[in-house]
Amino acid sequence: MGPYDSSISPAAGSSNSSSSACSSSTKPPPPDQMDHLLAGAGYKVRSNELNQVAERLQHLETVMVKSLPVDISEMVNDAVYYNPTDLASWVDSLLTELNTNVTVPEPVPVNTDLSDLHEFPSGMNVYGSNHAPEMHGEFSQQAVTPLEEDVSIRLVHVLMTCAEAVQRGDLSLASLLIDDLQALLGRVNSGCGIGKVGSFFVDALSQRVVNSPENGVVQVELTAYENEILYHHYYEACPYLKFAHFTANQAILEAFDGQDCVHVIDFNLMQGLQWPALIQALALRPGGPPLLRLTGIGPPSNDGRDSLREIGLKLAELARSVNVRFAFRGVAASRLDDVKPWMLQVSPKEAVAVNSIMQLHKLLGPGPPIDLVLDWIRDLNPRILMVVEQESNHNQPEFLDRFTESLYYYSTMFDSLDACTAQPEKSLAELYIQREICNVVCCEGSARVERHEPLVRWRERLTSAGFAPLHLGSNAFKQARMLLTLFSAEGYSVEENEGCLTLGWHSRPLIAASAWQAIPKPSPATMGR
Amino acid sequence: MVHIHDDDVQSDGFCINDHLDLLIEVLKRLDGRSLGAAACVCRQWCAIARNDSLWEHLCFRHVSPQPVGVRPVVSALGGYRRLYMVCVRPVLSRLKRRRIGSESEVVRRVWSQHEVELSLSLFCVEYYERLLVGGGRVAGDSPASSLKFLCMPVNV
Repeated sequence: MGPYDSSISPAAGSSNSSSSACSSSTKPPPPDQMDHLLAGAGYKVRSNELNQVAERLQHLETVMVKSLPVDISEMVNDAVYYNPTDLASWVDSLLTELNTNVTVPEPVPVNTDLSDLHEFPSGMNVYGSNHAPEMHGEFSQQAVTPLEEDVSIRLVHVLMTCAEAVQRGDLSLASLLIDDLQALLGRVNSGCGIGKVGSFFVDALSQRVVNSPENGVVQVELTAYENEILYHHYYEACPYLKFAHFTANQAILEAFDGQDCVHVIDFNLMQGLQWPALIQALALRPGGPPLLRLTGIGPPSNDGRDSLREIGLKLAELARSVNVRFAFRGVAASRLDDVKPWMLQVSPKEAVAVNSIMQLHKLLGPGPPIDLVLDWIRDLNPRILMVVEQESNHNQPEFLDRFTESLYYYSTMFDSLDACTAQPEKSLAELYIQREICNVVCCEGSARVERHEPLVRWRERLTSAGFAPLHLGSNAFKQARMLLTLFSAEGYSVEENEGCLTLGWHSRPLIAASAWQAIPKPSPATMGR
Repeated sequence: MVHIHDDDVQSDGFCINDHLDLLIEVLKRLDGRSLGAAACVCRQWCAIARNDSLWEHLCFRHVSPQPVGVRPVVSALGGYRRLYMVCVRPVLSRLKRRRIGSESEVVRRVWSQHEVELSLSLFCVEYYERLLVGGGRVAGDSPASSLKFLCMPVNV
């Protein structure tokens, strides 16, 4: 029988499950069925023996840990005699070898739900399982924590298996596994942690499985107003956008040092939250403020308001109150590659800064738009090109790789979001992130715009497009660190990486900011062409 | 406040309200909380305590070097009193709690240039958000909330 038998059933396990949270509708398999998940990893264990095997493994571990090295040296130095595929007999044989008391203490009549939880998914660290045999008697009181951890581990494992099934095109298995997942989600705390991010991924997977998995779904478009609300709440709830804005502003400020006419091009104006701080910093710079021109690019409004112009007016009002000469221009374009350089009206006398906060990755879809766009950016001869991108690789060709990577990335991001308690900021921020997740998992082709790539790839790309890196100075670093200390959660960390700054949660970088300068193209005259 | 009238005064009677410059000198040396309390004493004191230059002194008393040219900008964005209430006080207390963690009173420490700049930037963003709300562009019920994170309890 293959590893995935068609009569498998979800997490109900081999016996009548007394858990009411289990909402599976298919019948449980015959009890002596091989457990399908362990079978996928290469181990053959019967479902009804899982509990016993688990306890014996624990016993073995304790014995090995407690034994004197001399007692087990014989065993560890020799070759393995027994086929470890058949876990049950392998464990028994090892225990016999150690001449220990093989009679494992009576398995405590535990809740039958646990029978399917003692799984050791291949390749995953079983963290936190420190059941010592002397605690067998208290097994059933032992707790919620190891129980919940086990469910979480299983949840992740089944998610991966399901994604792999989707990649292979095995939709029937994927549907069954999704039922599995729904059941598991019912048993885990879906208010935080893996439960919450897991539920988003399960939703995304089920959308993909139900709709066409090859061509992907097309995400429902939100109105510009809805987009702005989500974005604003994401800005409030976590520091990633603030970090991006403040770091970019600091770099742009330094690049504009000594210039009297400056022009900033913003690839995604939204509500213009980045620019007040720059306007204020320019107002206070020694020598007085320059003439500031801002060109904001944004999607055309589909609800009749001219949102670009409105934002421009507000920014102008702010600039006027702090006495900075200011001019605004809005460019409406639904995609960045629709923008043509002449629309930006850059004059040769001014210093240009191009600001791209999480926009360039949208150009990495099919076709060459990224190269064209980078080319015309270079033609503008900017003093600084500011690039802030998500630090993750969600653009791999294989679905499973993308899925795995995004699962870990967004879990980390949700962990950091847990620290925020302000509502409704938090829920709307989660909705914002959920749309990204959905795009990465469900969409394909030109509909998939969230094609994040890590900093190293961007470095290669930008270097080969004719840009030289600019180091973000210590001022930017100090400011970022200070900004972070103002946030209530202690887990954020700012790191410097070859002149670029990354912001992460507990040493996993989540967002990376880098600055670039255009290398002027050699003019045809000097090349002698 | 006891007003001692001229006719039954002893020759060395003293009323602070007659010497407003002295009052201001005293108020200049108070911390924010006391200054706020002083504003509750009587109408006259309230008017004096609301004087923005007192709050300017409070905000930048410990800044080294003294920032130049900040006054028109801050006035345009809402004034020093607002700057103190909205930015400086939470920033200072948050930074102090992070760095030292054990002192219970407001630490008289010297601000660095970076901290000043950051506070001013945050203040400007907050002003802008009020502009946005005023124009009805932000989901109406939440007040300018960019600095809400400063007021949230620190999860140490």
